[in-house]
Amino acid sequence: MKSLRGFLLFSLPALLLLSTLVLIPVLGTVYLSLFRDVPFLGREFTGAENYLRLLSDPHFHRSLLFTLKFTLLSVPVEVVLGLGIALLVNERIPFRGLLRGAVLLPWAVPAVVSARVWQLMFNYSYGVLNYLSDEFLGFRINWLGTELNALLSLVVADAWRTTPFVAVILLAGLQSIPEDLYSQAKVDGAGTLRRFLYITLPLLKPFILVAILFRGVDALRIFDLAFVLTGGGPGGSTTPLSLYAYRFYLTGDFGYGSAVSVLLFLLSLSLAVLIARVVKPAEALR
Amino acid sequence: MWILLLLLASLLVAGCEKRGPELTIAVGGAPEEVRYWAEVIREFERREGIEVRILRQPVDTDLRRHGLTVALSAGEPDPDVFLMDIAWIGQFTASGWLEELRGIDTSPFPEEVLRVDRREGKLYALPVYVDCGLLYYRKDLLEKYACRVPRTWEELLDCSLKVQKAERKKNPDFYAFLWQGAQYEGLVCVFLEFSTGAGGGLEKVRSYENIKALTFMRDLIHHYGVSPPNTYTEMKEEEVRILFQSGNALFERNWPYAWKLHQAEDSPVRGRVGIAPLPAFEGGRRASCLGGWHIGVSRFSDMKESALKLLKFITSYKVQKGFALNLGWFPARKDVLKDRELLEKLPHLKDINEACSYAVPRPGVPYYVQLSQVLRTYLNAVLAAKMDPATALRKAEREIELLERTYR
Repeated sequence: MKSLRGFLLFSLPALLLLSTLVLIPVLGTVYLSLFRDVPFLGREFTGAENYLRLLSDPHFHRSLLFTLKFTLLSVPVEVVLGLGIALLVNERIPFRGLLRGAVLLPWAVPAVVSARVWQLMFNYSYGVLNYLSDEFLGFRINWLGTELNALLSLVVADAWRTTPFVAVILLAGLQSIPEDLYSQAKVDGAGTLRRFLYITLPLLKPFILVAILFRGVDALRIFDLAFVLTGGGPGGSTTPLSLYAYRFYLTGDFGYGSAVSVLLFLLSLSLAVLIARVVKPAEALR
Repeated sequence: MWILLLLLASLLVAGCEKRGPELTIAVGGAPEEVRYWAEVIREFERREGIEVRILRQPVDTDLRRHGLTVALSAGEPDPDVFLMDIAWIGQFTASGWLEELRGIDTSPFPEEVLRVDRREGKLYALPVYVDCGLLYYRKDLLEKYACRVPRTWEELLDCSLKVQKAERKKNPDFYAFLWQGAQYEGLVCVFLEFSTGAGGGLEKVRSYENIKALTFMRDLIHHYGVSPPNTYTEMKEEEVRILFQSGNALFERNWPYAWKLHQAEDSPVRGRVGIAPLPAFEGGRRASCLGGWHIGVSRFSDMKESALKLLKFITSYKVQKGFALNLGWFPARKDVLKDRELLEKLPHLKDINEACSYAVPRPGVPYYVQLSQVLRTYLNAVLAAKMDPATALRKAEREIELLERTYR
C-alpha cells in the first residue's frame, strides 16, 4: 500500500502534465474529426463522414504516398550517414572534441531557418547550387521543378539537418561497447570488417533502432521543410500529410483537417509501437 | 514542483482575467506599412480621444486570415476592427462575422468594388485600397526594338521572342516575361486574367477558352521559353518584382505596389518602366484580377460605436490620400483619384486607373479559399508539365462540383 501511495505521489505531477499537454489535445482532435466544422455552415455532428471522405480523396492518397516515400528514403540515408560520422568521431583522430561539436551544428539550427537557407541554395536564378552547375556543367537545374527533383531536394535538406542527431545517438552507443571485446577479437585474428560486423553492429542495434524510431516518427510528420521549400508543389506532388491537414485548418474546414491529423497520429503511433513492441530496443539496451 | 505548478496556475488565472472593453484593430503587412498604420491610428486617437490597441498580424495573407478565423469562430470581442483580403470577404460575411455597416455614404466608392462587400443587400465592409493586375514594361527596350506596348497576348509574345533573342547575346539570364506561377493564390489571379482574356473565366472552369489560356501559359515557359523555368516553383510577387527590377526582363505582371520600388533611388530600372493594362487574346476582352484589402467591424466587438468611427476615419478622403502618398496604395475612393496634388505627385495613378477599369473579381462563394486550393494545385501541375490542360481543368471542375456539394 505504501509503495502504491508513493507511486501515485511521485507520478502524479508527470501524469497531470502529460494528460493536460498531450492527452487532451489528442482527444480534442479526435472529437473534432467527427464533426463538420466550417465557419459559414456551423458545427454539425457527422460521425465518420470525414473519414469516408478521406477514403475517396485522391489528394489525400497522394499525400500519404508522398509521406511514406519521404520517410522510407530519408531515414535510411540519415542512419547510414549518421553511422559513418559516429564511427569517424569515435576514432582517436586529431581535433576529435572540436569535430564532435562541429558535427552537431546543423542540428542546432532551427528547422525553418535551415529550410530558408536551403531555399536560397536551391533557388533557380541566384542559388549557389545553380551557380556551380552553370559554371561546371554549363546548364542550370530546376531543383524543385519535378516531383523527383523536389523529393530528392527535400531528402538532402532533411539529411543535412538531422544526420547529426542520429550520429550523436550512435556515438553514445559506440562508447558503451567495452574496449576489451575488440582486443579479444583482435587476438582471435578478426579483421576490421569482421569486428564491425560481429561486434559493433549487433551491440549497436538497439541504438540504431532508437534512431530509426525517432527519425521515422519525425519524418512522417515533416512539415517545415516542405512548407518553405516546395509549398507542396509542383502541382501538389510534394504535400506531406501534416501540410495537407494544415491546409484545411487554414481554409477553415476544421473537422476534415482534424481527420487528416488523426490519421497521421495513428500512423506515427503505429510506427512507434511497432519498433517499441516488436523490436524491443529498450530490452536490448539492458 | 509545487512552485512551478503555482506559477502555472497564476499564469492561467492572469491569462483569463477580464480586461475592460478596449478598441483593437488587427493590422499586418510589410514593416513600413505597419509603421504607417501606427501613425494613422495615433492621429485617430488624438482626434477622437479613443484609445486604440494595434494587434500586429503577419505579412502572409493566409496566416492573417487564419488568425482572424480563430478569433472570430471563438466569438472573441477582439479584434474589433480588421482588414480582409477581397478573396475571403465572402467567407466572412457568410459566417456572420461582420457587423452590418449603417449610415455610410457609399457614393465615393466604385460600385463594382463594393459588390463583394454586400450580402443580401446589406453592406458589411468598405475598401481601404484596390489592387489589380498590371503589365509593367521596359520603355527603353520597347523603343530599342521598335515594339509597341502590347494590346494582345500574341503581340506580347512576338515582341518577347524578338527582344529575348537579341538581349540573350549579351545577357544569358534575360527572360522576356515574368509572372506569378507558383502554387499559391497569385497563380489563380493570373489564370483569371488569362482565361477571361480568352473569353472564359472562373465561373465555368472547364471550357474551350480556359484550355486555350492555360495552354498558352504553359507554352510561355516550356515551348517559347520567354518565362523562366522556375516560374511554377518560385515565382511569387516579390521574386517576379526583384528579377524585373534587376534589369533582366522586358515585361512583368504584378500589382501596383511594385511601382514605388521600381522607382526607388537604387533601382536599376528607375525611370525606364511603364504601366499598361494587361493584354487580352485576339478578339477577347482585357481583364485584370481585382484584389485589395477591405475593412470591417466584428459582430462580436464590444466597442461597436467607436469601431465604426475608426472605420469611417480610415476610409475617409484624407487618410486614403495619405495611404496613396506614403505607401503607394491605389485609393479605392473615386474622389481621391481626382485629387490634384496626388495626381501631380503620382502621375502613374492615371495608368493604374485605366488598367483597373478592366478589373474582374474572383468568385464570391463562401468556400472560395477551398476552391482556390483545388485550382492552384491543378494549374500548377499543368505549368510543371505534369498534366495536360484539358485533363487538369476537367479534374479541377469535378472537384469544384464536389466542393459545392460538401459545403452546401
